[in-house]
Amino acid sequence: MRNRMGVELTEPEAGLVEAYERLAGVLRDHGDDLPPFARRNAAKALAVLWQVMNGLDMDPGQIYDLGA
Amino acid sequence: MPESQYWNPRHETMPREELEALQLRKLRSLLEWAGAKVPWHAERLRGAGVTPDTVRSLDDLRRVPFMTRDEWMQGQLERPPYGNVLAAPPEAAVRYHTTSGTTGRTPIRVLDSLKDWEWIAEMWCYALWGFGVRPADTVFVAFGYSTFIGFWGLHGAAEKLGCLVLAGGAMTTEQRVRQLADMGATVVASTPTYALRLAQEARKLGIDLVAGPVRRLVLSGEPAGSIPATKRLIEDQWGAKAGDTAGMTELGTIMVFECEQQPGGTHVIEDHYVEEVVDPETREPVGYGDMGERVVTSFGRGFIPVLRYRTRDLVVKVPHTVCGCGRTFDLYEGGIRGRVDDMKLVRGTNVYPRAIEAIVREHEEIDEFQVRLFTVDGIRDEIEVLVEVPDPGVDRAPLLERLAGDLAGAHEALRFGVREVESGSLPRFELKAKRVVDERTVIGGEGERRQ
Repeated sequence: MRNRMGVELTEPEAGLVEAYERLAGVLRDHGDDLPPFARRNAAKALAVLWQVMNGLDMDPGQIYDLGA
Repeated sequence: MPESQYWNPRHETMPREELEALQLRKLRSLLEWAGAKVPWHAERLRGAGVTPDTVRSLDDLRRVPFMTRDEWMQGQLERPPYGNVLAAPPEAAVRYHTTSGTTGRTPIRVLDSLKDWEWIAEMWCYALWGFGVRPADTVFVAFGYSTFIGFWGLHGAAEKLGCLVLAGGAMTTEQRVRQLADMGATVVASTPTYALRLAQEARKLGIDLVAGPVRRLVLSGEPAGSIPATKRLIEDQWGAKAGDTAGMTELGTIMVFECEQQPGGTHVIEDHYVEEVVDPETREPVGYGDMGERVVTSFGRGFIPVLRYRTRDLVVKVPHTVCGCGRTFDLYEGGIRGRVDDMKLVRGTNVYPRAIEAIVREHEEIDEFQVRLFTVDGIRDEIEVLVEVPDPGVDRAPLLERLAGDLAGAHEALRFGVREVESGSLPRFELKAKRVVDERTVIGGEGERRQ
């Protein structure tokens, strides 16, 4: 996997990118189906993982619509 | 993998060309976001003919109009409480903060979401990690934890690092000293002025800080963190390394930090900001080594996009090669040198509070001081420095004479009065120190403004 600057990510870095995308996908597609504890903790986790995405130059954009 | 000395090794050691490519990419995203979500920005960008696709190099940033505090404040007045700068609905926010309001003006009000709040802490992580703070540290935060943003971000960063964090809010200075000593704090965060105040209190309590476990002082909130004499005094009184940082509520966090090498300046966190330095009058860029006003563009907080914000901070940018730490982030030599508005014109001579502090702190016998400007006979400006000398054994006359001479020598022979006042009578500060009292009835100087 390469970042948006064309740099190849390491395997563990790519693992975090996948985790972020999976988490963002769950919140985007099923956020309203989650109980409050799951939804808000997931949003908080997404806010933290966003920093990893940003630091890896994956251009994560903004996530206010996902509650983060 | 051996432990990195950098928080984000790839970014902090990126070749300049790659760093600038990253900044350009982020700049286009920021313009896209601000133009789409903030009508106020959209109108300004449209008026200047700026679209993300026409921004082809960082030089194109200069086509974006400056953003000023006055405009921000005017927006707040017209559309209270937040003005016209928000890019997300207020209900998406989890934090509300304000500027410290030390100038007596209405504070700027800001909002942050979960993600932005984490980013705010992330910027402090660059500073803490870069200054040698590690998970095993116990960090005491000497801060009031109010809506003033202050060290909130540092608190979050220290938690993120895995440190044990002691929140020193709602405590007297004595309680703070006792707690940081009792708990074996290894890192203390405070303003430079308050670091001296804490050391003074420790002496009064018979607590030997130099022999204690504190090994790092993280300073912020005042330019004094990079004034060599003040920094040396703090380091001597604590027996610890002191590192400067600087931030602003308008950004939510810090934008510069001093690394462990203590190169006499602060690195700009350039993977998250573009910092221009311009002549405050002509607004034209100034080169490395020349003093000018910081103009910041932030890629961080999305809730309030900041594009070419005129900070009024005076800085001297120097290339990253000045420091041997390996970072490719440029530095501000001497940190924040003061404010454009700080300058006082006294009988034709420019006087900066920071320069006065640098001289006063060379005289270790002086504990606290205040600069007073007043008018004599309705026309003549006078300046005097009031000092506290707590040690009764100090020979006063030569000390005061020496200080007056040093101040005059650094200010084109401008006459400074130096007067001792009772020990403990001058104000003490926990947040930003305000040591200049301007009582002049006529402020006479071109380029000078009463705050």
